[in-house]
Amino acid sequence: MIGSIILTFALVFSIISMIMYYLNFRGYNNTLSYARIFYHLTSIFVIVASTFLWYYILTHQYQYKYVFSYSNNSLSTGLLFSSFWGGQEGSFMLWILFTVIIGVILQSYSSKRGDLEPRVMTVFTLATSFLLLMVSPWLKNPFEYIWTTPIFVDLKSINSNYLNLPFLQSFLFPDPQTGTTYVQVSSTLLASLVQNGIDPNTFIVNGRGLNPQLLNFWMQIHPPILFVGFSMATVPFAFAVSALMKNEYRDWVSQSFPWLLAGTGILGLGIMLGGYWAYEMLGWGGYWAWDPVENSSLIPWLIGVATIHTMLVQKRSQMQSEGNGRYVKTNLILSILVYILVLYSTFLTRSGVLGDASVHSFVDPGMLVYLFLIIFIGSFTLLGIGLIIYRWKELQSEIPQDESLLSRELSLFTAAVVLCASAIIVFVGTSAPIVGRSVDISFYNEMHVPLAIIVGLLNGLSLLLKWKTTSTQELLSKSVIYLAVSAVLTVLMILIGGVNDIMMILLSFSAIFTIIVNGEIAIKIIKNNFDKLGAYVAHIGLAIFILGVIGSSAYSKEKTLNLVKGKPVEAFGYQMVFTGYQPIENATKYAFNISMSKNGKTYNASPVMYIAEYNNSLMREPSIVVLPTKDIYIAPLSYEEKDGHSHAGSINIEKGKSVEFENIKLTFDKFEMDSDVMKAMQEGRDFQLGAVMLAESNGKTYQFKLFRKQKGSEVEFTSFESKELNLRVELLNLSAQGVELSISRLDQPKEIVKKESQEVLVVNASIKPFVSLVWIGVLVLVIGFFISFSRRLKESHNSD
Amino acid sequence: MKNKYLFGGIIIVLFLGIMGYLFTQSNIKYENNFSIVKASHKTVKATGSWVKEKQYSYDAENNLFKFYIRDDKGEEMLVVYKGAMPNNFESATSVVVTGSYQDNYFYAKEILTKCPSKYQEQTATQSSSL
Repeated sequence: MIGSIILTFALVFSIISMIMYYLNFRGYNNTLSYARIFYHLTSIFVIVASTFLWYYILTHQYQYKYVFSYSNNSLSTGLLFSSFWGGQEGSFMLWILFTVIIGVILQSYSSKRGDLEPRVMTVFTLATSFLLLMVSPWLKNPFEYIWTTPIFVDLKSINSNYLNLPFLQSFLFPDPQTGTTYVQVSSTLLASLVQNGIDPNTFIVNGRGLNPQLLNFWMQIHPPILFVGFSMATVPFAFAVSALMKNEYRDWVSQSFPWLLAGTGILGLGIMLGGYWAYEMLGWGGYWAWDPVENSSLIPWLIGVATIHTMLVQKRSQMQSEGNGRYVKTNLILSILVYILVLYSTFLTRSGVLGDASVHSFVDPGMLVYLFLIIFIGSFTLLGIGLIIYRWKELQSEIPQDESLLSRELSLFTAAVVLCASAIIVFVGTSAPIVGRSVDISFYNEMHVPLAIIVGLLNGLSLLLKWKTTSTQELLSKSVIYLAVSAVLTVLMILIGGVNDIMMILLSFSAIFTIIVNGEIAIKIIKNNFDKLGAYVAHIGLAIFILGVIGSSAYSKEKTLNLVKGKPVEAFGYQMVFTGYQPIENATKYAFNISMSKNGKTYNASPVMYIAEYNNSLMREPSIVVLPTKDIYIAPLSYEEKDGHSHAGSINIEKGKSVEFENIKLTFDKFEMDSDVMKAMQEGRDFQLGAVMLAESNGKTYQFKLFRKQKGSEVEFTSFESKELNLRVELLNLSAQGVELSISRLDQPKEIVKKESQEVLVVNASIKPFVSLVWIGVLVLVIGFFISFSRRLKESHNSD
Repeated sequence: MKNKYLFGGIIIVLFLGIMGYLFTQSNIKYENNFSIVKASHKTVKATGSWVKEKQYSYDAENNLFKFYIRDDKGEEMLVVYKGAMPNNFESATSVVVTGSYQDNYFYAKEILTKCPSKYQEQTATQSSSL
């Protein structure tokens, strides 16, 4: 209750602050201090509300639906902390929390830069108001009581003191499928509890918990970082709109630039952490599946990076002339698009439109939320794009500065175009489910390889070009050495690394070219101009990343291995032995140990499997051995303890086939099954399966039957003995494939049949060359963003 | 100046053309009628429910997981998936399989399972044999 009230107040304050800021922009000087006070109140109230939510989760207050749905008593403190963003409502809350904190910094930043504050903050508070409306009691409120809408709660989660209450009977619902009994918790039950003098807050004592796939370290850092990136996307939008409000397009670029760099850097880091999480935990062996949810955060990132490039040109051209510089319209549109695409991403993942298409997507949140999200996107699109159309004439009046084809300006612009093209591809593919379609991931891969090649070449080439214009002669003489060195290195890669696909060769060449050109400049300037290192570092990071992608996806090898305990299996040059398993984490999981040896070195992998109580399913976690040039990736598939395949002296006979045994011909004629066997099998009742056998000797045929009898979980097999034939036939197994028999003479001592049990672990093993470069590349890229950020932050001070 | 626009225009048209072409090539339709799935050999996303009564099995030697799914009209088909039974599969009732129908079974490249038990909120998990 208190949480909802605080959030409602925050919403009201945010709206008041927006109005005050707008009035201040329109010339009412005395409203500025009120606007600031109300903005700070908004942020304080949001922080307090978030603290309440954390407090409720940490103290297990299951009367709140959100706490019940996403946490339970057994979660560790760290995971309880991250339960905050385990569901829809909480992740909106997290988004708002970061947005308001960023707003506090933005308010202080903008107040020091001329008349920027009222405009920027008007737009920014509009965004916070929309977000706060999202978590208000009418939409996705994290403080909703569990009674508000009927919900089924496992009987085990109910306080045992209340189980014998007579009225509870009418709220019980057994689920025959799982054998669990549920209590329907609703306002009616609440009324009954209150009537009986029971404190409803003590009624539920445990929650559902988190999906087991979320129970790990990455859950604690990936979503927050991603949401910081999302929140920061609000800022370039606010700057662009405020420039349009004032109809002044020069200073906003420098002011917005550091925010864009930091936001894009953080978003990139967040996306990468998600990929690493998938790689390390989900066990399908990759880090990027072009899943719509992954894609939807990639689209704003790509546009953000494109904006960085065109903004750089505008800043640069401002230094040379008095005007606004080049690409004013492009920069405005792209800055606005970044935030709209973040909202679109939210729409895709939260509205339920991707229901059938994605792993991450949340369930259908209801019509109201769907509509609200559409209104949210619609309003911001209308505001941003509408203002651009409104100002179009003034925007047209920019002084055209024609640059030559061979100029850094144009190559930066081309880079932005390529990045936008990439964004369009991802956008089209990701949006396809809305119209009931879906694209194969080959669509993304095939489109991106050529784009990545162009990006790599541009990355190198643009630095060899001067601003304004470069003569062809000069460019050729400069680049020939780089191109030659890259070519030599690529040939080495082809010869040593076995890269053979033409597209991969071109891609490798372009990545190496990037590294050489950027690397050389970086080394030259590292001492005196550390500040200017950002772009080069980021480009080197991208090229390292591309090399990692080539190695790990185009040259990955995989194999399914059946590892019988103690028996070495050869794979990729390694001797792999399954040595047994042991329980881990309080016996909730099992680690299966595999030792891998090659050239006298031994590595251990221990993939994990367990049955999760949460969803009663088998869960698997891979194990990764990281070596300098590759990862050995072991994903567990199954584990079985079964009786040895071939018993001493056993014979398998398929239906209709015969075997000879010392002049006796034994035939497996047919199965014998009662009509209700199938039904008994499903219902778990006792049943028997029979095999009709024929034994032929000296022209005589004898018929006999053997049975496999199921009694509870015990299985019994019958045998047949005939004095006349001097024959003993024992049934060892009976399956759809046929019968397995042990045949012996009655007058001879029976061979002792050893039932040696076999433990078989099935794993999917793969070798991923240079996959570490993927992570290293992105980290270097992000570091580059931050070096640039610190440089551009300083410049943003100088511009006033 | 004119040349630049012409150049840009050609690139845009080329790009959109290639994208459109690849889109139609790799475009996969959702299909909930298995008669249509069986009749064509195109790659589709077949949506149906898991037939729990029929046997499902995992063939460890060939790493194949086999099970049956049924559409709204009661039409059933055998699904063969190269890979192990996906995480969460036991609790699934609704399944989306991506692949194509070839000689008597549906060869799935990807499985997406959903658990719309009325007592639990829907959760979805995906596994892919990539």
